[in-house]
Amino acid sequence: MATYMCMICGHIYDPSAGEPVQGIKAGTAFDQLADTWSCPVCSAEKRLFQKA
Amino acid sequence: MTAREIVPGVFSVGAIDWDRRLFDELIPLPQGTSYNAYLVKGEEKTALIDTVDPAKEYELISNLCRMGIERIDYVVINHAEQDHAGSLPMILEFFPDAVIVTNEKCKDLLIALLHVPAEKFRVIRDREKISLGKRTLQFIITPWTHWPETQLTFLEEDRILFPCDLFGSHIATSDLFMSDERTTYVAAKRYYAEIMMPFRTSIRGYVGTVRGLNPAIIAPSHGPLYKNPSFILDAYADWTSDTVKNEVVLPYVSMHGSTLKMVDYFTDALIARGIAVKPFNLSKTDTGELAMAMVDAATVVIATPTVLFGPHPLVVYATYLANLLRPKVRYASVIGSYGWGGKASETVVKMLDHVKVEVLEPVMVRGLSDETALRGLDRLADEILKKHQELNLV
Ligand SMILES: [Fe+2]
Ligand SMILES: [Fe+2]
Repeated sequence: MATYMCMICGHIYDPSAGEPVQGIKAGTAFDQLADTWSCPVCSAEKRLFQKA
Repeated sequence: MTAREIVPGVFSVGAIDWDRRLFDELIPLPQGTSYNAYLVKGEEKTALIDTVDPAKEYELISNLCRMGIERIDYVVINHAEQDHAGSLPMILEFFPDAVIVTNEKCKDLLIALLHVPAEKFRVIRDREKISLGKRTLQFIITPWTHWPETQLTFLEEDRILFPCDLFGSHIATSDLFMSDERTTYVAAKRYYAEIMMPFRTSIRGYVGTVRGLNPAIIAPSHGPLYKNPSFILDAYADWTSDTVKNEVVLPYVSMHGSTLKMVDYFTDALIARGIAVKPFNLSKTDTGELAMAMVDAATVVIATPTVLFGPHPLVVYATYLANLLRPKVRYASVIGSYGWGGKASETVVKMLDHVKVEVLEPVMVRGLSDETALRGLDRLADEILKKHQELNLV
């Protein structure tokens, strides 16, 4: 599954790790994240992520 | 600075900082800067748009006093950073009835940064309007056009856009409006590189939003105003686009000449292949110049000697900065020299984790380059040429 990079702070969303601090389970693809999901580091919106 | 009229009833009331030479203890200001604040008088209400750096708060107050302003109804805060919002506490002392108009995130930040009382605010939503009587302010919330809380204010009837930091330039000048396009273009590009470049993807989308408003004047918070908004909008469209140029930026440090020999050879090798090259000796470079060069270069090659086991600290500094500013470069590589060994190139490459680049095979040489070592640089120059050709840059 593809990883995605936050275009604001550079944080990488890695589906194999999920986002434990946000309660997002390992194995969750980027596309499965809600549209309201935002970066756990800088809180930029989902649309500001690009395929890494 | 004395207050100046932009159009009848709309004034520039901020301050010029002729002497400031460093911003955020980081960004060089070779031409000083200004903190522009604006006063808009409607038939019923008066609004102040942004304030000034606290170092200049008395200039703002004195401008308002000399204009005989006895009442300010609204203080619009487009951005919470101290160089614009920092005089808000002083304004509230002089004008205790003023209501702060801003978005929710900005309110949060103003409370955290300046301890402004929460009951002073009127929180607005995206595209909300406030009437001043025959004059209307419209607010456009544009997060990450620099900070998460940034917003724009548009004076509808006069079609004046107040975007705060966005579209600004660090120039101290007595000209209210841009008078010299070339000087302003370079200063605005430098400012974009230092301040706005990390938010390129986000800003790109708002250039169209601003065009849609069809402003007659853009009045930023630093530097001169634009009577011809397309001048700065076209520049931003270009800088924020994905288009890169057939250019290599080459920041370097050399201690005893081995890395310098490689830099000189590599510079010539690129020129011979028709590729523009901009070498920067980091021990003498103004970081603003380096940031500006990275705005549209296709490739960055970092040249470093090895200090003990890693890159030179000046190279670490420049690489760290590049990683923060996140230019749109497509390719990166490292060249340099070592005496005993070490991991200088690996360390530099690892530091670029926030920049989306393809790393081209580094060329690290033991001691002074001989003919064989220089062939390695030819190979790297050939590869860069090939990559630039693939992007149709050559
Ligand atoms: Fe700012
Ligand atoms: Fe600013």
